[in-house]
Amino acid sequence: MPMAASCPIPIYRVTEMQVCNESQVIEAVRDARADRTPFEIVAGGTRRGVGRPLKDLNGNDLPQLDVSGLSGIRKYEPEELIVTAGPATPLAEIIETLATKNQRLGFDPADWSRLLGSNGVATLGGALSADASGSGRLRHGPARDSLLGFRAVNGLGEAFRGGSRVVKNVTGFDLPKLMCGAFGTLSVLTEVTFRVYPRPTHSVTLCLPDLAADEGMAALRKIAHSALAPAGLAYLPAGWPPIGLDSIGMGAALIRLEGAPRPLEEKVAIAHGLLGRARTTVIEDGQALFARIGCGEMFADVAGDVWRVHVAPADAPRLAKELNAARWLGDWAGGVLWLAAPPGEAARIRAVAAAMRGQAMLLRAAPQQRATLGLYAPQPRVLAELTRRVRAAFDPLFLFNPGRL
Amino acid sequence: MLLPPTNQALLARRAEIAAALKTIVPDGVVSDPSGLATYDADALSTYHQLPLVCVLPSTREQVSEILKYAQAEAIPIVPRGAGTSLSGGALPREDGILIGMGRMKRILEVDYENGCVVVEPGVTNMNITRAVEANGFYYAPDPSSQIACTIGGNVAENSGGLHCLKYGLTTNNLLGVTMVLPGGEIVTLGGKCGAQGGLDLLGLVTGSEGLLGVVVEVIVRILRKAPVTRTLLASFDTVPAAGKCVAEIIAGGVVPAAMEFMDKRAAEAIESFNQPGYPLDAEALLIIDCDGVQADVTHDMARVTEIVAACGGRTFEATDEKQRARIWSGRKAAFAAMGRIAPDMICMDGTIPRHALPQVLEEMAGLSEKYGLGFCNVFHAGDGNLHPLILFDVMKEGEFERAEAFGADILRLCVKVGGVLTGEHGVGIEKRDLMTDMFSEAELEQQHRVKCAFDSGGLFNPGKVFPTLSACIEQGHLHAHGGKLPHSHLPRY
Repeated sequence: MPMAASCPIPIYRVTEMQVCNESQVIEAVRDARADRTPFEIVAGGTRRGVGRPLKDLNGNDLPQLDVSGLSGIRKYEPEELIVTAGPATPLAEIIETLATKNQRLGFDPADWSRLLGSNGVATLGGALSADASGSGRLRHGPARDSLLGFRAVNGLGEAFRGGSRVVKNVTGFDLPKLMCGAFGTLSVLTEVTFRVYPRPTHSVTLCLPDLAADEGMAALRKIAHSALAPAGLAYLPAGWPPIGLDSIGMGAALIRLEGAPRPLEEKVAIAHGLLGRARTTVIEDGQALFARIGCGEMFADVAGDVWRVHVAPADAPRLAKELNAARWLGDWAGGVLWLAAPPGEAARIRAVAAAMRGQAMLLRAAPQQRATLGLYAPQPRVLAELTRRVRAAFDPLFLFNPGRL
Repeated sequence: MLLPPTNQALLARRAEIAAALKTIVPDGVVSDPSGLATYDADALSTYHQLPLVCVLPSTREQVSEILKYAQAEAIPIVPRGAGTSLSGGALPREDGILIGMGRMKRILEVDYENGCVVVEPGVTNMNITRAVEANGFYYAPDPSSQIACTIGGNVAENSGGLHCLKYGLTTNNLLGVTMVLPGGEIVTLGGKCGAQGGLDLLGLVTGSEGLLGVVVEVIVRILRKAPVTRTLLASFDTVPAAGKCVAEIIAGGVVPAAMEFMDKRAAEAIESFNQPGYPLDAEALLIIDCDGVQADVTHDMARVTEIVAACGGRTFEATDEKQRARIWSGRKAAFAAMGRIAPDMICMDGTIPRHALPQVLEEMAGLSEKYGLGFCNVFHAGDGNLHPLILFDVMKEGEFERAEAFGADILRLCVKVGGVLTGEHGVGIEKRDLMTDMFSEAELEQQHRVKCAFDSGGLFNPGKVFPTLSACIEQGHLHAHGGKLPHSHLPRY
């Protein structure tokens, strides 16, 4: 692959090929297409350790397309609740910029770099491509609910856009949804537009200690199905290092509520009423705790493979019991269980999850394990074939991140 | 508007095709002209034609068998829910099978523990809420046709409503669907776990306007009804002041449950129609709902009132449910009220960035002059979704054609200022030929390849959404004559 012109802006890594605008991406894809050379799309590189390692037929690493030059906020319109940025814009930069206008991204993008042991810089495009949502997803939904539009280059080397820069749009197929969680297998993103949300001025984290998993998660579901619009509902079983409390006993249900001071007081009172339980404490640094939960940092120093199992929230306690992991926690009111397990447990985890109609995502594991297991369990044949045809509709030669998903 | 040419050979096979379908659905095949007349159009009644045959399955297996048969025989398929589409999405083909999903209307499961309901596609939007409201829950998307429109149709159109800004469209309130692909295979996308283990095909299928398959089961999320809702009517001396106020409210960190804009002409027509008590000395009105827990609403309302005043507006807040209902009754009667000022109207549905409102209104006034036709504006202001109502008299030579051209120019204007052709009504047949104004050839081809990934034979809803090679620019729209709308029992807003 030839070198594109070097970027006039800072980059995080130096690889075979750097691009910093859409026409360079087009050129790069056309070259790759001409040589039939699949490649890995990399910006900050923090999520390279997720999914199947990208290798060619000889077992060598695929060449990389370094898109970290596609960075920077291009248009931020706070009164329209919209931000447009290059996909390689660091998450920290976006979060900081939005905060100056008391706004934030709805999907609470999760930076997995601590969990995955990466020194890279987590980017907006990486977070949406991996559908990496933190605890706040509970309130405003996953990335796909916030991505309004994008520009990208498909596998034919054509620039195209999907969606728009307005919130309400049903014109043509909703392609932004497809880009979220696609792990870069459909196109090379060159620009993304997100809806943003007001950032509440205050938040409070309540802790209900000494609850068994079924009790604790039932309490979380009660809050989830209230009108309180919680921004975090997690359960930590016994065994975690101290979280700023004396003891969590059998386990702790954690409830994060948000709002202006007066409404927040009322929400806390309503929560107490719903829980019918006197013993509730307020955690000082709940925001930081939820941040650690949401980005998997709690598992950064825990040995074993790390899984995220999506499950119907009411099934979460039963799932936790059957999986019986030494270290686990529940987020999104039980909608996702994080757990660490020895590599040999993989088949059982997938089987238990499947039996409960859940999806077990292998988030952290050794390359060999990831190569064997893939990110998700194999899909049913018809769905797998459909997925393949949809991918081919964007990238007929399967040039982009082949095998990762 | 041109449809792909009719396959005359299929027309000649009507009896044979009906007989074949009867072997799959013995009691659910309509093939006589009087029976088929029920299905000749949706709410975009400017366009109508009888389908070749209509089939009304009761099970997913029947749907699968029907699609296998249609695929084997290369017969076009048009899926239909309640036929309330405003963009012609369910317009039949005279050489095609219309597959009516109205019989599949069971609520399969109400799951409060997981905050969701599992339904068949023919369940009406309103009946989902009815099934759970006794327990304090509701289904959030509320298209104006919600008493009649079906959830299957909502999925196909990604339906919206008044409360989208805060609660999202259909796509944001779906957990999963089971659908039958054009080849008859049944697939499940998503589920109660809220994950798909692969590409977000659920998101792709939602809003795909019947081009990708037939949905046979839907899992929707339900929400706890907000304990408090308050409604404010704000009036302004100028349209830009109202537009600015909308932007300031949003920028001020308030996300109202609903925020509706009306111009003076709309307000006058409505006031003479059902007297909701709108101030007639104002150039623009906003109706703003805030909901949530008591203190949240108190906080938001105070903030909104402050911002309205700062923008030079006057406020009137409803003090009880009756007043709230009265304020909203006017807005909800807006389409019907147009009958007071013109014999006919068509309703457009573009979305614009909110800040472009003054510019768009000014340019629309210019277009109104150019075409010699009146118009007024109602507008889901919170999310920038415009519903300009073009007024005309179909009895006057050339007015309908001018109204359509006016409407097309409005949508082009929406695209020009950075908006889109349709915010909630769908492209269907109505806006199909305007797609080239919004998308490049490469973009349309990209979307079309996605369609082909599902429907390689091009049998599903052919002639909708994607422009044909013909460059005919005729448009059709929601057309009301003498104040009578198609499905006149449905409110439209």
